[in-house]
Amino acid sequence: MSTSEESAFWTILSYLIAGLLLWCGIGLLVDHFLKTNFFVLIGMAIGLASSLYLIWVRFIRIDSNK
Amino acid sequence: MAQPGFEPPGSGDFIFTPIFGNSILATKPVLLLFFSVILISAFFIVSSRKAAVVPSKLQFAGESIYSFVRDGIGRDVIGHEFQRFVPFLFTIFTFILTNNLFGIIPFMQFPTMSHIGFPVSITIFVYLVYHYVAIKKHGLGKYLKDMCFMPGIPKPMYVLLAPLEFLTYFAIRPLTLAMRLFGNMFAGHLLLMLFTLGGEYLLGSAWVIKIFSAISFSLAIGLSFFEMGIQCLQAYIFTLLVALYIAGALADEH
Amino acid sequence: MTGTLSIVGFGLSTIGPGTATGLIFAAYISGVARQPEARSILQPIAFLGFALAEALAIFGLVLAFVLK
Repeated sequence: MSTSEESAFWTILSYLIAGLLLWCGIGLLVDHFLKTNFFVLIGMAIGLASSLYLIWVRFIRIDSNK
Repeated sequence: MAQPGFEPPGSGDFIFTPIFGNSILATKPVLLLFFSVILISAFFIVSSRKAAVVPSKLQFAGESIYSFVRDGIGRDVIGHEFQRFVPFLFTIFTFILTNNLFGIIPFMQFPTMSHIGFPVSITIFVYLVYHYVAIKKHGLGKYLKDMCFMPGIPKPMYVLLAPLEFLTYFAIRPLTLAMRLFGNMFAGHLLLMLFTLGGEYLLGSAWVIKIFSAISFSLAIGLSFFEMGIQCLQAYIFTLLVALYIAGALADEH
Repeated sequence: MTGTLSIVGFGLSTIGPGTATGLIFAAYISGVARQPEARSILQPIAFLGFALAEALAIFGLVLAFVLK
C-alpha cells in the first residue's frame, strides 16, 4: 500500500477514537452530575455519528468527486 | 503431586530493582538505553570513518540503513523539503529499532520500549517538532483555522467536527503513537515470557507432560523470530507516522 | 489472577472487526492488483468498510470501560 493509504488508515482510526472518547466523556460527565445513566449511550451515538461523518467528508466524498 | 500452582507472568515482571546503588538510573531498561546509544554511535562512526567509493561490508550496511530512511521514508513522504528532517527521522528509526531488538537478543531480553516512559518521551519530542514546524510555516492562527475548519461542509456541522479535529491533532495522535509502540513491545515480551516460564514449569511435572514442555519451548523460539519481525515493523511504522505528521504540518491545507 | 470480565469481552469482540479489516484490505489489494486503474474507485469503498468495521471495535473498547 502506498503512503497516502497508510496515512488515511491511521487518521481514520484516530478520528474514531477521538469522536467516541470526546462524546462518551461528555455523556459520562452529564450522567455524573445529573445522576442519570442514559446520557453516555446518547453520547456514544453522537460520537460515532460525528466521527463517521468526518471520515465521510474527508476521505470518501472528496475522493469520489475527483 | 504437591506442586505450587503456575504463576503467570504479569506487569509486575516489568519492574526492576536497581543493579547497583539505589538510583532509578541504574535499572536494567535505563542501562540498556545507554548501551544502545553507545552501540549506535560506535556502529555509525566505525562504518562511516573510512568512507570509500567502493564500500566495505560495514560501510554498505550503514549506508543502506541511511538510504532506506532517507529515500523510503523521508523523500517519499515529506517531499521536496525532506532533507531537513532526515537526521531526526534517522535518529528515531535507529534508536527504536535497536532498543526493540534488545527484546530477543540473549542475555538482554528486554525491549526497552515496553516501559511506557520511553515511548512517551520520544513522542513528546515528535509532538513539539511537528507543531513547531507547522506554526513556523503557517502562523498559529492560520494553523488552527485550517485544522478545525475545512471547507465544503454546512456551517452547523462545525460545532460537531471542530472539537473532534482539535482533539485528534493535539491528543489522540501522539497518544496512539506512544501507545502503539508500547503496547506491541509489552504484549510481545509478555507472550515470550509466558511460553518460556510455562515450559519451565511443565518440565517439573510427570514425564508425559514433559512433551508439552518441549512444544512450549519450541513455540517460544518460533515466536521470538515472529517478534523480531514485529519489532522491525514497529520501528518502521513509528518513523513513517512521524514523517506523515511532519508532511501534514508542512502541507498547504490539512 | 484478578481483573474484570469486561476486558475478556472486549478481547472477544475484537475478533470480528479484526477479521473484517483483514478481508476488506485483502479484497482491496487483489482488486487493485488486477486492475490498477480501478484504484480511485475502490479506495473510498475500502475506507468506508474499514471505518465501519473499526467503529465496532472501538465501540467495544468504550463499552468495556463504561459498563460496570
